[in-house]
Amino acid sequence: MVRQPIAPRWRIILGIVSVIILLLGYTYLSHKQHQTNPTDTTIPSWSQLADGVAKMVEVNARSGERWLVVDSIASAERLFLGLAWGVIGGFLLGLFMGCFQWIAALFVPSMSLLAKVPPTAALAVFFVLVGTETPMFVAMIAFGILPVLAMSVYLSVLEFPDELLHKAYTLGASHFEVVWSTIFRQVLPKVFDAVRLQIGPALVYLIAAEMVVGDVGFGYRIRLQSRLLNMDVVYPYLVILAAFGFLMDYGLVRLQRLSCPWYEQARRR
Amino acid sequence: MVRASEETMMDKDIILECSELAQWFGDNKVLFDINLQIERGQIVAVVGPSGCGKSTLLRAIVGTHPARGGDIYVIDGEGTKRVVETPGRDRGIVYQRYSLFPFMTARENVAIGPVLDKTSIPGRIFGYFKFREFKKTVLEEADALLTRMGLGHALHQYPAQMSGGMRQRVAIAQALIMRPSILLLDEPFGALDEATREDLQRLLLGLYQENEEARAQDVPAPHTIFIVTHELNEALYVGDRVLGLSQYWDWKGEGLDACPGATILYDKAAPIFDPDGQRDFESLRAQRAEIRALVFEPETPTPRHIHVTYSS
Repeated sequence: MVRQPIAPRWRIILGIVSVIILLLGYTYLSHKQHQTNPTDTTIPSWSQLADGVAKMVEVNARSGERWLVVDSIASAERLFLGLAWGVIGGFLLGLFMGCFQWIAALFVPSMSLLAKVPPTAALAVFFVLVGTETPMFVAMIAFGILPVLAMSVYLSVLEFPDELLHKAYTLGASHFEVVWSTIFRQVLPKVFDAVRLQIGPALVYLIAAEMVVGDVGFGYRIRLQSRLLNMDVVYPYLVILAAFGFLMDYGLVRLQRLSCPWYEQARRR
Repeated sequence: MVRASEETMMDKDIILECSELAQWFGDNKVLFDINLQIERGQIVAVVGPSGCGKSTLLRAIVGTHPARGGDIYVIDGEGTKRVVETPGRDRGIVYQRYSLFPFMTARENVAIGPVLDKTSIPGRIFGYFKFREFKKTVLEEADALLTRMGLGHALHQYPAQMSGGMRQRVAIAQALIMRPSILLLDEPFGALDEATREDLQRLLLGLYQENEEARAQDVPAPHTIFIVTHELNEALYVGDRVLGLSQYWDWKGEGLDACPGATILYDKAAPIFDPDGQRDFESLRAQRAEIRALVFEPETPTPRHIHVTYSS
């Protein structure tokens, strides 16, 4: 029967098994590769990976810096600034589009169009408009996530029931209070959901841009080391990126649960 | 139809007046020549065939969809007569669904009215401590009101955790805490089961009892209620005055080519029930049949004015 429930412990066991299979599969691939070519670095063995980690954590002989530290600082700055501008801008625009029809009429066509343009394809546009330093990355990430987020928030605001809107006015609310104290508070959990969905794309834009431009950052390091076939550095970087994305998502879920304790119950209904 | 003058309005303590009210949307004519006076302390129930415009009339009174023809006047909290153009705190509303804000608990939902009305957002930020005191007082008032309505155990529950009947109770409390001039209810119990509906009807009767007590002490009656319902029994049980709104009237006899909209065909008193007493619907049988024949029958168009005979 479809949707037949399974015991919770089976869920845990199967989850662990799948991760183990992943790791064993990788070990096997690496082993096969090293049998063909003992000095291979494209599918590193576990000891080579350990060396790779050491390489990125220790002070590099030539540049005098720790790769992990400088790359993290550079990428994190770009990502967080880009996310900040994109999220705040997208949220405010979406909120006002949903609340005021003339703003919606002004922006829906342009937002819908812009949402379809892949920011990575428009890199040259950003070079020209904003230069090639940190502002370029920030602009690219922000413009990458802003239209989609604005449309998402706009649609969530449209779902706010008319009845509650009218009721707020009969309770003596001003227009500002209607937008801030009722619509915003009801739409907030959906904003979190929309932001969670944009973390992935934001990371993609960041890494893609860093691969093309720049001399520091995760994207730059991964591309350079990939070209040198130093996959023992690349794999740990990928793992860090994955862990970071996971933590961001988890952090946002916790924040959502903290600020909107009512949402779980409402969703289940 | 003669419109009441300013003097008689004050004499009879009229809270709401509709004068030659009409509503249409493009070619769709919904309401025609509605003339109505609601006095303080009345519970007016409006019945009519489906789609006749009961909710349209209510929305015009709330002010969310103002009438295109005619005027609506309401006496606000300070006793000034105002024309209705937008929603305001003098007309409270309870809808059938989406009655509560889902992101607040029951007590917060009831307290939000005074908070929205009496404070502004800058005031809440810059006068933070005063606001905190005010909020505490309002929440206590909300707790008291909810406990009186039998919801003392649900003060901290969110709407998603409450049953439909509880939600409507909280919604009524939310509207009542504002002490509006008139409380409007749009088929408030339509989505509830029979037993819950009975409980809530008794709650409204309880409000009428409070009116009677106030009148006995020579104090203005606190609750004026306007309820739209499609349930004839409910209208006669809860209301002390029943209006029949219908498009099945004798417009041909008045020389018109097409129906210009629904109008009030029936306006008579309904018996007053004791909330703790028997729900004896047998006694209402004659009036039910009368209303059905006059208001709900498309085959026998009723002439206007003949059955609009309510006097307080």
